[in-house]
Amino acid sequence: MSILLEVRNLHKTYRKQAGLFRQRSICALNDVSFSLAEGKTLAIVGETGSGKSTLAKLLVGIEKPDSGEILLAGTVAKISHYRQYNHMIRFIFQDAAKSLNPHQKVGQMLDDVLRFSTVLDSHQRRQKIRMTLKQLGLLDEHSEYYPHMFSGGQLQRVALARALILDPKLLILDEALTALDPSLRAQIVNLLLDLQQKSGLAYLLITNHLRLVKHIADDLLVLHQGMTLDYGTTAQVFSHPQHDYSRKLINSLTA
Amino acid sequence: MLLLDIKNLTIELKTPDALVRAVDRVNLSLREGEIRGLVGESGSGKSLIAKAIVGVLNKRWQVTADRFSWRGQDLLNLSYDEQRKIIGRDIAMIYQEPSRSLDPTAAILEQLEEAVPDHLLDGPWWKRSYLRRRKAIGLLHKVGIRDHQSVLQSVPYQLSEGICQKIMIAMAIAKNPKLLIADEPTTALESTTQAQLFRLLASFNQLKGMSVLLISHELESIARYTQSLSVLYCGQLVEAGETAAILKQPYHPYTHALIKSVPEFQPNLQPKTPLYALPGSIPVLQHLPIGCRLGPRCPNARKECVKTPSLERLQNHYFSCHFPLTGKND
Ligand SMILES: Nc1ncnc2c1ncn2[C@@H]1O[C@H](COP(=O)(O)OP(=O)(O)OP(=O)(O)O)[C@@H](O)[C@H]1O
Ligand SMILES: Nc1ncnc2c1ncn2[C@@H]1O[C@H](COP(=O)(O)OP(=O)(O)O)[C@@H](O)[C@H]1O
Ligand code: SF4
Ligand SMILES: [Mg+2]
Ligand SMILES: [Mg+2]
Repeated sequence: MSILLEVRNLHKTYRKQAGLFRQRSICALNDVSFSLAEGKTLAIVGETGSGKSTLAKLLVGIEKPDSGEILLAGTVAKISHYRQYNHMIRFIFQDAAKSLNPHQKVGQMLDDVLRFSTVLDSHQRRQKIRMTLKQLGLLDEHSEYYPHMFSGGQLQRVALARALILDPKLLILDEALTALDPSLRAQIVNLLLDLQQKSGLAYLLITNHLRLVKHIADDLLVLHQGMTLDYGTTAQVFSHPQHDYSRKLINSLTA
Repeated sequence: MLLLDIKNLTIELKTPDALVRAVDRVNLSLREGEIRGLVGESGSGKSLIAKAIVGVLNKRWQVTADRFSWRGQDLLNLSYDEQRKIIGRDIAMIYQEPSRSLDPTAAILEQLEEAVPDHLLDGPWWKRSYLRRRKAIGLLHKVGIRDHQSVLQSVPYQLSEGICQKIMIAMAIAKNPKLLIADEPTTALESTTQAQLFRLLASFNQLKGMSVLLISHELESIARYTQSLSVLYCGQLVEAGETAAILKQPYHPYTHALIKSVPEFQPNLQPKTPLYALPGSIPVLQHLPIGCRLGPRCPNARKECVKTPSLERLQNHYFSCHFPLTGKND
């Protein structure tokens, strides 16, 4: 199984103005390393502020790491070359609504994504859009909807459609499944598992939903104040957590 | 006494072509001190109902009801301003979208202080601003934020979503509401804080008798913290009653599927195996199926289902299905 994504010794510190002359710095990520193979799922859990979303932002290229390396399929990824691999890694963020243009119909938005990153003609694009919407349990007529016409959970599906329409190799989900209702979540989980089996798609699942982690993640990394506490296979971390914090987290499930 | 009693709540969207009915004749009641769960498919109208109760839907929506009483008083007979006054004083809401509650450009301190009503500050006027700040800090502590100094000076975008959600909860409980409507209050929180916040809501419920309408997708929390439950599908109430009874023996096929789809309730499920899910998806409001709205997706549908089922009652358990799963024929 080939390694798709490798992250080595990532550091990220945010500086905040505190008072007129003082600066406070917040270490959001401290020496984080992990790797993710094709067709596998790595879950990253940790409390709010532990650095999960920061990690996702570094992988997308919205923020730059202070030090450390991100390797994609064995080559060092340069943030400035983000466009080159933008169809390979796709992201879905916590707040789907925020990332969608409110003045654009969903069909138009998906079409833009395809026009920007593929060579499909307009007929092929229309077909791809129809297929992707269907895959995600959306209907053809949803193409004509503006984002504000969807409910929270439906928007999350739209965001998924935008991510999956380019047939990526790696999908980063930042709390993207949490806002879904259980039956929809079950459908999407099944879809993700199915895609993974058929096309070897890898997932980086950032979530606090430990039951879900237990069900779909192969590996698990526990992040706490920017540092890796436990990292191993999901079964291993669940049965033998090395740190008190991880133990507490896992016990909160059974309590 | 019933705190809130709504009968046949209907919410319609005015569009150029027609009136689109998003919520169709839904009944909802809450006793004083009760925690009621509201669950249902995405897009089934949960947030709309919540927003209709607090009156924040814009003019494009038309809200009607046969009864809308609050603590025995029929609000439908009051003027709009009087309604707003009562609701503003007694009902607080935590929105699903943090951006609706938090001003992205203002410091948290300002926003929290603003949420504290004057009548809750007992002390001479010259101490007011000191008391107000103390109260703001106290509220942060209550929702589990200990590092209040740096949080109070921040603006929302500098904070993580989870912290923002905690702040919204602090703002909502600032006025000691009689009813708190919490629309998915914990989705962005880690499981330990999630549990902490549910315990917090439960303790406010017990100590201050605050009722809670809890909209959540987490059936496990619903099971643990609510006494009664309403289940929506596609704008209609499909089942309502006591939470424990419904989770033990759901009558409606949608509720049944909902429970079965949650890994928490399926202890023998193997990792990476498919979860139970109904085929298809919730229809768009412009093209609703004839008869039972679950029909096209329902595993038990028969030809009788082209007639809309009415809401029936078996003791305290309400359901709308021609072929309820009463355990015998399941
Ligand atoms: N501005 C709008 N224009 C058109 N349709 C809308 C609008 N706002 C909401 N709707 C529709 O109303 C229905 C109910 O939406 P609502 O936000 O109440 O769902 P919800 O039950 O809260 O879902 P979720 O669990 O995803 O938050 C949905 O079908 C949605 O598409
Ligand atoms: N743009 C930013 N400016 C300053 N601080 C930030 C910024 N983004 C995140 N932080 C801080 O970095 C820490 C980690 O945040 P984040 O990665 O969003 O956490 P998580 O996603 O695990 O909840 C938090 O303390 C947060 O307040
Ligand atoms: S009325 Fe018929 S279609 Fe509707 S839920 Fe009951 S069995 Fe299913
Ligand atoms: Mg985050
Ligand atoms: Mg909602």
